[in-house]
Amino acid sequence: PTETRAAAPAPPRSGPAPVTDVAKLCVCDLLVAQCDVNCCCDPDCSAADFSLFTTCSVPVVTGDSRLCSQKAAIYSLDVEANPPERIFKLIDQVNPSVFCIYDTNYKQALSFSSPEMPTPENFDQLLERFGSATFSAEPDSWNMNTDAQNPSDANETHRYQYGVPIQTADAFLRLPSPVVSSWCSDANPAGFLINQVTKCTRSVSVEKCSNIQAVSMLFYINSSILAVNITVQSIVVQSLNGMRTLLNGSDVLRLPMILDDLCINIVLGVSYHITYTDSGEIIAAAASFVLGAINKEALSIQQSFEISFTQVNTEPVPLSGNPGYVVGLPVRAGFRPQGYPFPVECLFVALILNTNKYSQLTLLQSTSNQDCLAAQGARTPILFGYNMISGCRLRITAAMKCQPLTQTLLDLLKGQSFPEYVASFGNSQAQNVLDWVPITHLHISEQRIYNTFQSSCQIPVSLEIEVKWTKYGSLVNPQARIVNVTATITTTTLKQLPSGRERTIPVTSSVVFTDISSPAEPGYKAWPTINAKLPFDFFFPFV
Amino acid sequence: TSLLREILNNSYQLSSVPLQILFYVNGIYYIFYFLATLAMIVYKSQVFSYPDDFLAPDLALLFIMAILEVLRLYLGSKGNLTEEEAPLGLSLVITVGSVILSVYFLVWQTYVLKADVIINAVLLSTYGLESVLKVIAIAAFVS
Repeated sequence: PTETRAAAPAPPRSGPAPVTDVAKLCVCDLLVAQCDVNCCCDPDCSAADFSLFTTCSVPVVTGDSRLCSQKAAIYSLDVEANPPERIFKLIDQVNPSVFCIYDTNYKQALSFSSPEMPTPENFDQLLERFGSATFSAEPDSWNMNTDAQNPSDANETHRYQYGVPIQTADAFLRLPSPVVSSWCSDANPAGFLINQVTKCTRSVSVEKCSNIQAVSMLFYINSSILAVNITVQSIVVQSLNGMRTLLNGSDVLRLPMILDDLCINIVLGVSYHITYTDSGEIIAAAASFVLGAINKEALSIQQSFEISFTQVNTEPVPLSGNPGYVVGLPVRAGFRPQGYPFPVECLFVALILNTNKYSQLTLLQSTSNQDCLAAQGARTPILFGYNMISGCRLRITAAMKCQPLTQTLLDLLKGQSFPEYVASFGNSQAQNVLDWVPITHLHISEQRIYNTFQSSCQIPVSLEIEVKWTKYGSLVNPQARIVNVTATITTTTLKQLPSGRERTIPVTSSVVFTDISSPAEPGYKAWPTINAKLPFDFFFPFV
Repeated sequence: TSLLREILNNSYQLSSVPLQILFYVNGIYYIFYFLATLAMIVYKSQVFSYPDDFLAPDLALLFIMAILEVLRLYLGSKGNLTEEEAPLGLSLVITVGSVILSVYFLVWQTYVLKADVIINAVLLSTYGLESVLKVIAIAAFVS
C-alpha cells in the first residue's frame, strides 16, 4: 500500500524504492541487456541461452527466512530434457521453527532503512548525527587530538605515479598548450614523467604587457610544487631580430616593463626540468626562461613550453626509441672502456657513450667542394632507417706517402672515434653490455687477382656500414631491433704515380639498413581427432 | 421429596466447580504465559531490531496484564467461592480488559512469533471458556 503524504514545500528526495518481489530479484544479473552466464534468473536470457548453461549460480531467491512463510523463487536446470531448459517455480517456503515471525507491526524491521538524503534543511542535523568520530571509516581519525597529526603531515611527501598531474600549492603545474585553436590554454596540467613540448599563441599588446600575467616570469615560478620551490635555472634574452644571449646572473626576477615603445622581459619560452627520486617524489624543479621583447605592431606572440623529468643521480640518456628504434632518430653506439681487453670482463662494465646522441655513430659528410682533405672533419649522424651515401674526391699526387695517406683516409671514413658497440634497442642501457651488438669489421681489397705485388700500397676508398635489423615483439606493434652491424672497408691499390702527375679517386661511405625480419607465421590449432580406444580387456578371454 | 431433590441436585452449593478448576489451571498457565512472553520479548530485542519506543509499550502492557490477571483471578475465585455475584461480575469486566490485552499480544505486538500466536490463542480460549462459566455461575447466584 502506498502512503500519501501532505504536499510539503520541498519533499526530501529518497533513493530508489527497494525491490521486494522475489520473482523479479536477480543478484547475478550484472550485465545490462546481456545474458549473464549461468544466471538462471536473468530476464535478458532466452531459452537458447538457458540450454547452454551448466548450473544455476543462484538457485533460490527468498525473502527473509525468519518469517514463518515467505515466497521463494526456485531456479533450476532440467538437464535431462533436450535441450536443457530452465525451471522456474514460485513456492511458499515455510519456516518450521516455533519462533518464526508470524507478523510484525514495525514496518522497518525486515529491511534496511533508506538513508536520509541531505537537503539544505537537514544537513546540519545530519552532520551532527553522523559527522562525529564514531561514524568515521578511518580508525586513525578516532584520535580527537588533531594537533598531534599536523607534524606528521608536513613530513609526508607526495608520491606521484606516471601521468598523475603535478600538484602545486594552489592547483596543478600548468603547461600552457593549444587546445582547439592555436591560442594558449592555461588549463593543461603537467603529468608526472610525461615529457611534453608545446607551442601556442598568446595575444599581447605593448600597452597592457605588464598586466598580462601569462607573459611574466612570476606566473611560471610563483606556485611551488608542494614543498619544492621552482628555481630559475637560466635566462636567455632574445632580441627583436632573433639573437639570443644567455644572461649571467639568473636569480633576478625580470618582470615585463615598457621601455621606449617596446615591452621587454616578455616570456617567450619556459623549460621546466623536474628532478625526481625512484620512489616518485619530486625533489627539485628548475625553470629556464627565454625572454623577449615586442614592439607596438605585435598583436600576438608564440610561446613554447617544455617539461622534462630526470631521475636524481642519473644522467638523462637520450633514447632513440622505447624500446624499438624510431625511424629518424640517431643510432646509439659506444665503446668498451679502456683497460678491459678481455671480452669476459667487459660484460660487467658499462659502455662509454658520447653524451651528444648525434655524434655516437657518424658518417662522412659531403661538402660543397668535394675535396676529401679539406673536409674539416664534418660528420653527419647516422639516423635509423635512413640509408645514406656520401663521399668526396681525393686528389693523389706523387709526393704522397702510403702510410700517412692510409691513416688520413681511415680517419676520414671512420671519424675520430668509431664506436665498437651499437645498441640493439633504442633504450638499451649502457650498463647492459649484452644488449649491445658489436660492430663486425670486414676488409675487402679490390686487388686484381693477377696483381702479384702484395707489398704495394692499399688505401681504403670505401666504408660501407650495413645495419641488419628485425621486427621484434607483437605483430600489432613491432619494435625495430638492430641485430647485426658490419663495417666493410674496401681498399684499393695505390699505384705509384710518375712525378708531377696526379689522380683523383672517389672515396665513398654509405650506410644501408636492411630489414631481415622473418615473416610472421600463422599458427593454427591442431585438428580435433577422434580418440577412440577399446578398453584393454575388450578381447578378454583371448588376451 | 423436595429436600431429597435439592440434595440430589446439589442446589445447596452454587459455586461452580469447573470454574474453580479453570481458575486454578488459568493461574498456573498464566505464570507460564507471563514468563514465556517476557523471555520472548528479551529474545526479540536481542535478535531483531527492537527500538526503545516499541519495546516500552510492549513491556508495560505485559506487566499491566499480569496485574489485571492477578486481580481477575482473585476476584473471580472469591466470588465463586463466596457465591457472590458482585466480585464475579467485576472479574468478568476485568476479563474483557484481559481479552483486549491478549488480542494486542496476538495481533498488534511489534513482533508476533508463532509461539506468541499459540500461547495467546490458548489464553483466549481459556478466557472464553471462563467467561461462559462465570455467566452461568452469576445466573445461578442471582436466581
